[in-house]
Amino acid sequence: MARILCVAEKPSIAKAVANHLGGQVRAENVRGIQWVKNYKFDYDFQRWGQSSVTFTCVAGHIQAQDFQDRYRKWHSCPPSDLFDAPIVTQIAEDKKVVASNIEAQARYNTILFIWTDCDREGEHIGTEIRDIALKANPNMQVWRARFSNIERAHIIQAARTPIQLDEAQANAVSARIELDLRLGAAFTRMQTLSLQQMLPQQGEQKKVISYGSCQFPTLGFVVDRYLRVRNFVPEPFWYIRVGHEKDGINVKFSWRRGHLFDRMAVIIIYERCLLSKHAKVTKTQKKPTKKWKPLPLTTVELQKMGSRFLRMTSQEVMKVAEDLYTKGWISYPRTETDQFDKDMDLRKMVERQEQDNRWGAFATGLMNGGFNQPRNGRNNDKAHPPIHPVNYVNPSQLNDNEKRVYEFVVRRFLACCSEDAVGEATDIEIDYGGEDFHVHGLTVIERNYLDVYPYDKWESSQNLPRYTVGEMFEPKEATMCDGQTTAPGYLTEPELIALMDANGIGTDATMAEHIAKIKEREYVVARPKGGGGGAGHQGAAERGVGRGRGRGRGGRGGRGGAAAQNGAGGTGGVQEFIPTTLGVALIEGYDNVGFETSLSKPFLRKEMEVQMRAICEGRSTRRDVVQQNLEQYRAVFLRTQQQINVLKDAIRKYVGGANQG
Amino acid sequence: MANNLTAELTQHLNSRHLYPAAAWLQSFVSGTRPNTPLPALKQTALFRLLATDLTTSLQPPSHTVFPQDVLNPRTQTRIIAGPIVCQVLDIEDIGLSRWAQVEQIEAKERGETTKGREIVRVVEDEHDGGTVAPAVHSRGPFKLLLQDAKGAKIYAIDLRGIQGVNTDMAMGAKLLLRNTDVRRAVAMIEPANVQILGGKMDALDKAWREGKKERLMNAAKISGEAGNG
Repeated sequence: MARILCVAEKPSIAKAVANHLGGQVRAENVRGIQWVKNYKFDYDFQRWGQSSVTFTCVAGHIQAQDFQDRYRKWHSCPPSDLFDAPIVTQIAEDKKVVASNIEAQARYNTILFIWTDCDREGEHIGTEIRDIALKANPNMQVWRARFSNIERAHIIQAARTPIQLDEAQANAVSARIELDLRLGAAFTRMQTLSLQQMLPQQGEQKKVISYGSCQFPTLGFVVDRYLRVRNFVPEPFWYIRVGHEKDGINVKFSWRRGHLFDRMAVIIIYERCLLSKHAKVTKTQKKPTKKWKPLPLTTVELQKMGSRFLRMTSQEVMKVAEDLYTKGWISYPRTETDQFDKDMDLRKMVERQEQDNRWGAFATGLMNGGFNQPRNGRNNDKAHPPIHPVNYVNPSQLNDNEKRVYEFVVRRFLACCSEDAVGEATDIEIDYGGEDFHVHGLTVIERNYLDVYPYDKWESSQNLPRYTVGEMFEPKEATMCDGQTTAPGYLTEPELIALMDANGIGTDATMAEHIAKIKEREYVVARPKGGGGGAGHQGAAERGVGRGRGRGRGGRGGRGGAAAQNGAGGTGGVQEFIPTTLGVALIEGYDNVGFETSLSKPFLRKEMEVQMRAICEGRSTRRDVVQQNLEQYRAVFLRTQQQINVLKDAIRKYVGGANQG
Repeated sequence: MANNLTAELTQHLNSRHLYPAAAWLQSFVSGTRPNTPLPALKQTALFRLLATDLTTSLQPPSHTVFPQDVLNPRTQTRIIAGPIVCQVLDIEDIGLSRWAQVEQIEAKERGETTKGREIVRVVEDEHDGGTVAPAVHSRGPFKLLLQDAKGAKIYAIDLRGIQGVNTDMAMGAKLLLRNTDVRRAVAMIEPANVQILGGKMDALDKAWREGKKERLMNAAKISGEAGNG
């Protein structure tokens, strides 16, 4: 009988998968670490026959990278040395027991079957597990499971068809880890050492001014918008409105030009209209129109919609989605894919929703002939399907946040499987004094997907009377009106996510973390949009600050990171971000050192992101990517060091006279 | 020979409704080299003339300048046959707020319009229509300040869009206006009635471009205050 060691990325997955495979499984405690269990059972894997299985887990990354001892202290070397100081990789201090459990288990087993999440980070964690296991038992065969949800049939299928670890993806992560460490540490030390004494000191602790290659461009967007709002100058504009009454209906025509910023010009045009007396209908058109049903749900979209409609921050949404995934209710929530595979049995998933008393009837309608294949978007990460409900869960089993996210995922999915909303659009255009005016009408004929998807709005306008082309009429009124431009709003969370996405900052899965990070660093404060006082954000200084370890995986699900539990607290509605004086000073300072490659701009990071992809696709190597990026950032580093006074000036300008002299 | 040449050139320029002052023509002819072929000379003369300030280089017959009462604001509408030769002293995009134009210039200064260095600052948002207007390219309509050969200045408005008339055009460029509708002392220029002769006044153009951002900023502030008051 084969002896198989299965390792999941976190305890909840180990437990869920073990139970799906083993039915009744025996949980053995692991000495020294209460939340890791070794589940024992027998299972007939198709490939290896009836086997004795031990199912255990890790908690995110097991290894940690750091500089050699003599570089580790802040004053031990010039920060620029960190661009090529030797790095040591070791089992992280708090993961020693996890690692020794795997070692111990590896000795008894012949096959290692890895069940980490199927994405880049998961692939890398898989190689960490493999390295530990092979060290203890070099003869082990290594396999990996491919799965994207924790639904029973899917898990059994994955158990049946093991694949190999993807070394390329693991290498991409490894490159990112090295770059984050080196760049984070070098810039953080350099800017902290040069600027710290200029900042007002809070208590005993001196403030670390941390740098991260995603955080800074993210902060850059917030600062850019903030400055636009602050600098904004409102200006008056003028426009013309034409009204006409026909068949008892008051029709308001609006000016094609919208409005103009020159009063004299509008007066002349207005006079020309009045003089011409009659308007002439130049176009009438009635045509069928549609409001397209939404695309299948991706992570970025979930985060945007979450912060817009579910009254949660993107980070909270991700945390909740992660929980729903772990419990088997929804599919893996980190995906870029917005197209469903043709072979997926979507009807079955629709069918499971029929029992709900809110959208069950709609699901039944889909099952009785209303089903339509979802639209295909343009993205496919080839790893996971779009986010969709896997199983039905009664709302009484979920907490409030889970309920809202689950409801959104289900409604979005049902909407995708429904039909576009259908309507009729009416457009009427007139020529009045040589100027075009128009009116647009909409009659919604079939709501279709809108019935299950309240997040979209599409409503009928007033009815329009019938006009014929060539018809002349005398407008009932023509008025010249004025208005004023208004400043844009501060950057909201959904906007920020969209900007990060459009500019290639972070991967869909990490954006929420970067946003949380710049809040925590006190570079920005978040507050409810339109709200007054800043939300309470006393970001306590965090462990590990100063190493600039962008994002490990500790906090992701699982028990590894305690921090993941408490979200920022109840936030009402969309959040908007305002930079702190320090945030503005840093961005302006770096911009003044050099616009082209300023760290506030997304390009450098974007290129890095593109190169990660190249590693995954085998077009580039880890070594090349690391070298190339280090060279680029080193140039920025040196220039910043030379012009450190520019940075200091900016700090002085905004943060002002504290602790001087 | 010189007389002959002068006559040839005069005829060439007149056929384009340009009536050079005798002094200008004389100085041009005296600067030419003897063996230059006539067609080349004609071209050079036209090119040079278009680069001058019309108020000093032309000796215009009265039909090629605006009538003296053209600036009477009580005149609702009148057609001026022309063709009138004039030069562009200023052009403004009145379809876009001045501040939005300032922001565009600043984005360009920051290198954000350079290929490969673009930054997406605005993302289309179907839900609330986006809070920030996307930076559209200058599309007008445009308000121009024109000057005829006698030095009279008049505003002109281009409502229909004329090829070559936009905020990138050279200051000092010469236009030919025919059958122009002048309303309340403003010339309404239309594609069918405008011929762009080209040319540029270098010093003016340079100063205009350099001062553009500041002019827009000041104008925005002034009109903003006026709007509030």
